[in-house]
Amino acid sequence: MVSDGLRCENVRVREVLRGVSLAVAPGEVVALTAPSGEGKSTLLRAIVRLVALDGGVVTLDGVDVTSLDPRVLRRRVGLVAQRPVMLPGSVADNLAYGLQAPPDPRAALEAAGLHERFADRDASELSGGEQARVAIARALTRKPEVLLLDEPTSGLDAPLAEAIGRHVRELAADGLAVCVTSHDRAVVQQWADREQRLGAE
Amino acid sequence: MSEVLIQAGAGIVLAAVAVVLASRLGLGLSKELAIAAARAVIQLTAVGAVIVAIFEVPALAFAFVAVMLVTAAFTAGRRIGGVPRARVYAFGAIAAPALTATGFLLAVGAFDVTPRAAVPTAGILIGGAMAATSLTGRRLIEALDADHAEIEARLCLGDSAREALRPSIRRAIHTGLTPAIDQTRSVGLVTLPGAFVGLLLGGARPAEAASTQLVVLLSLLAVELAAAALLAEFVQRAAIAPGERVHQGSTPWRSK
Repeated sequence: MVSDGLRCENVRVREVLRGVSLAVAPGEVVALTAPSGEGKSTLLRAIVRLVALDGGVVTLDGVDVTSLDPRVLRRRVGLVAQRPVMLPGSVADNLAYGLQAPPDPRAALEAAGLHERFADRDASELSGGEQARVAIARALTRKPEVLLLDEPTSGLDAPLAEAIGRHVRELAADGLAVCVTSHDRAVVQQWADREQRLGAE
Repeated sequence: MSEVLIQAGAGIVLAAVAVVLASRLGLGLSKELAIAAARAVIQLTAVGAVIVAIFEVPALAFAFVAVMLVTAAFTAGRRIGGVPRARVYAFGAIAAPALTATGFLLAVGAFDVTPRAAVPTAGILIGGAMAATSLTGRRLIEALDADHAEIEARLCLGDSAREALRPSIRRAIHTGLTPAIDQTRSVGLVTLPGAFVGLLLGGARPAEAASTQLVVLLSLLAVELAAAALLAEFVQRAAIAPGERVHQGSTPWRSK
């Protein structure tokens, strides 16, 4: 049984989003681009209900997300913010945050392209690129169906961005639905199966 | 000249020294110092007169405590100005613990059930609760802004809004309680608090003054903690929006 993935229909939020539609299927990487403005981040935040919708509907596997417990929704749809915040403690603490059973840190770190020796490092002392990958790994420990990445390469150099891109493509190959916002053409070309422009429906 | 006039005169001279000193140092504080000093003179003179009447008519004691509570609520409420019904929250957070503790102390016989004992006790506890709510409230409002990215990160990992706010609330209550804890810890070594000094100057035995001060100080710990925790709970409820979301401190609270 294949999931229906994530769908946004005619989503409106204040003056920022005026009727946006988007579909991301399992196994697919969609790049979300926009000329400028805060629309992309707002859409990702609206999908996980950090921002209330003024209109339209968001569905996950065919179910309106407003009918889901937000805590469950935010585990099934992992949002990695543009400047990820590392929570106090080690990388392993971050990966296990809020989970009943501590996950195997190795698997999550590997999937995000980090060596398992990172598990015991203090998360706040990592470089920006390492933190970006820990943030992805942390979202993956919740076993999401959809991964939303907000400008995941901002502040990273090109080889590192490419490496993260390869891992994201592998995650999609395993059935994850991925939506990535970026203003970087390289990200759009190397990561994405297709591009969707905001404000160009 | 009577002792009262000499005391008042000496105080005014030293206040004038502060005003002149501030002016000489170019601090721009002279006016504020002068106004504060003048207010103290007027307010204490008025209280001195009013308190005589209060000690005679118990009903007036209740009115006086009510005035203290409302004033404290306005002062603390200003610190959390962005929150709707801030003054009502502050009033509840201050009044409930301060009055409960005053009632307890009177009920167990720690103080006489007279206006002369009850009004100052209530006043000290209300003052402590006001300080704790002001500090906790201001710190918490700042934290809702400063910690917003961290709060959203926790929400995104599946926390409820309450769970995501817990670290910020803990830190705010810590801040609010620090003066009370420091004061209790350093008493007798660094500071001689007001009740102790007042009783000694009034001719009480040192042991009596010390035990009175002790019961007040220890009560303040409970009152200030309860006040800070209550205020944090009120602000938290206002900050949480439907759908496990958290308002940002600087954004309008009424927004959806």
